[in-house]
Amino acid sequence: MTPSTTQALTDEGRRALMSTMVLIRTYEEAIRAAYYADKLPAFDIGAGLVPGEMHLSAGQEPVAAGICAHLTPQDALTATHRPHHLAIAHGVALRPMTAEIFGRESGFGHGRGGHMHLFDPSTHFSCSGIIAEGLPPALGQAFAFQRQSTDRVAVAVTGEGAANQGAFHESLNLAALWKLPVVFVVEDNDWGISVPRSHSTSVASNAERAAAYGMPGVRVEDNSVEAIYAAAGQAVARARSGEGPTLIEVHTLRLWGHFEGDAEGYRPDLDSVHEHDPIPIYRDRLLQTGVLADGQYEGMQASAVQRVEDAIDFAKSSATPDPLDHLSYVFCEGVNS
Amino acid sequence: MTATLPRNKQSLALAVEPAAGKRRLSTAKAMQEAISQRMDRDQSVFVMGEDVGSYGGIFSSTTGLIDRFGPDRVLDTPISETAFIGLGIGAAVEGMRPVVELMFADFFGVCMDQIYNHMAKIHYESGGNVRVPMVLMMAAGGGYSDGAQHSQCLWGTFAHLPGMKVVVPSNPYDAKGLMSAAIDSDDPVVFVFHKGVMGLGWMAKNARSIGAVPEQEYVVPIGKARVAREGTDVTIVTVSLSVHHSLDVAEKLESEGISVEVIDLRSLVPLDREAIVDSVSKTGRLIVVDEDYQSFGLSGEVIAVVAEHDPSLLKRVSRVCVPDVPIPYARELEYAVLPTPARIEAAVRDAVAT
Amino acid sequence: MTDVRFPVMSGAKDATGVIVTWFVESGDEVTPATLIAEVAVDKVDAEVYPQTSGVITLLEQENTEVAQGAVIAQVA
Repeated sequence: MTPSTTQALTDEGRRALMSTMVLIRTYEEAIRAAYYADKLPAFDIGAGLVPGEMHLSAGQEPVAAGICAHLTPQDALTATHRPHHLAIAHGVALRPMTAEIFGRESGFGHGRGGHMHLFDPSTHFSCSGIIAEGLPPALGQAFAFQRQSTDRVAVAVTGEGAANQGAFHESLNLAALWKLPVVFVVEDNDWGISVPRSHSTSVASNAERAAAYGMPGVRVEDNSVEAIYAAAGQAVARARSGEGPTLIEVHTLRLWGHFEGDAEGYRPDLDSVHEHDPIPIYRDRLLQTGVLADGQYEGMQASAVQRVEDAIDFAKSSATPDPLDHLSYVFCEGVNS
Repeated sequence: MTATLPRNKQSLALAVEPAAGKRRLSTAKAMQEAISQRMDRDQSVFVMGEDVGSYGGIFSSTTGLIDRFGPDRVLDTPISETAFIGLGIGAAVEGMRPVVELMFADFFGVCMDQIYNHMAKIHYESGGNVRVPMVLMMAAGGGYSDGAQHSQCLWGTFAHLPGMKVVVPSNPYDAKGLMSAAIDSDDPVVFVFHKGVMGLGWMAKNARSIGAVPEQEYVVPIGKARVAREGTDVTIVTVSLSVHHSLDVAEKLESEGISVEVIDLRSLVPLDREAIVDSVSKTGRLIVVDEDYQSFGLSGEVIAVVAEHDPSLLKRVSRVCVPDVPIPYARELEYAVLPTPARIEAAVRDAVAT
Repeated sequence: MTDVRFPVMSGAKDATGVIVTWFVESGDEVTPATLIAEVAVDKVDAEVYPQTSGVITLLEQENTEVAQGAVIAQVA
């Protein structure tokens, strides 16, 4: 991803954002298909090629595309249990990522981590399955970048539900206090699993909470990739220039369930949620304004399908880890004992 | 992340357990010296924690460091353990070597996720591609009426959870050597120091909390126990302040013809199982003395090590631990639960009686 | 023969202190770089180093009250 500044988006930039979002959606649809393929008819969470929990990011593509357009692979990004969109937008290689999701030896973690624990050192990307706990290590990455006299930044992404966890508040305070080059991104997708924000959060927006910690807070209300891009550009520039952290909250959209297999019976807007799908909305806008020519969108889709199928085929054909090897990697030095 | 950068071992060929020499330090000063010497050598080493700056750490683990290295490398943090321990983790994955202090082991409750789900697991989850070369040091132990929430040892809890090394030095020599080894290690190391072995002026101190410490840089290998005293009748396997109490008891009983061997584990993870088995093979009688809680911890683990190897080795076995009770405040009650020399002596006598 | 004195640490002239820890024993060889004692007045600690080299003789015990400025050891 080419780093950007607070410069306005060009049409080429817009197409790049569209293309990123299309790639993410294509990927998530493919993972979803692979996930369910061998678990039905009776859903068995532990069965099949991709066992375990699966948290997909359909609807949240604008956040990933808008933020990561301003980052280089040398910037750090810590994500949550719902990491794929951010990994893809940040430039994480699809083959080892997919192999890790499939639990294969060729995965980023040699199958030890799985979908919630993806680590790509070459892009300083990591994610964690514990709510809000990805924020403190992002502070440390930012601290190191600062000490190493670089203008690299750390982006720490979390959810609106996580903004009520202690780690969130501690991290905001410490980042502001030490003026660390961090950008905090809260993905407010309305739901902490089944609990809406109105039932979890004492303020209308976490952007308000930023003031309590001495940093600017921005809320992007409409899941617009260009609005996210603009806000992120400012926040990243602030961090790079040594002015410290910013909190961006994006009111985004969780198109699917919290996890795959979630019946979402608690969700009153279930029938109409697809009407707010950000991808066709942005596509239509770009078509209307002539940024996308006829057929270009389909071209992006075709390219995405090719890349995603390659990654999935790679994963499916990769070896599974040797069970006898289960003690490897506990420590760098010395045998696990 | 500095994933697969090779370690520059050339500059880190430190002596391993050299002769102690004549110069004496307290355990606290030995820790300070280890950290200081490593900070001199490696700019990426820094110290972080509550009151570690001008206060020098409330148990004197960092006295003098801020004067030498400044507030940029010796950082006082807010009371935000989750945030600053996590910060240490992130700095470590990006190539720094943080020495982070958790003021009391008892405080792990407010930040345990960062410790056991992140610091300890990132290396494994990443298939060895991301390292966390961090030291998490913490004060532990009771005996001065600090009550249930400020007197615990808890090393068994950390040792129980995979992915972090756990070292527990009992004396100044091992404290400096293990701190150097811990900073040097690319693995996350939990370094637990008992307040009673620090040689503090404001807490009753055991004589062995002052001892000979080489002036040079050196390491004590992580994962190796030490035979603190050789003997033939009974093996005491122990750690930390209890090493000193066990040695006091052994010295006393020598005159009665009871020969006690004292094994100072020094590390819990990795555990020197060979040293335990070697000693019990010789004596046939095992007493584990552990100031941590009795059940589901270190003492059971040590006994299991011998039992799994060969249960017929054990003619007698017992343990002297803090029972499964919150540590009481009143001195009479606190000293009833601690593994005191009197309790250790009774256990030894009991072991040799049959 | 050089005196080693308990440092004057407190403005209050009557304030006494204690020798918290002796790091050496009578008969040990010391140099100006040798840490010989840690002392305290009102919970403020100080380290004591001799001014000269030689063999040290300790004159006071740990944990007993000592006047500031008093001679606590001698180096010959």
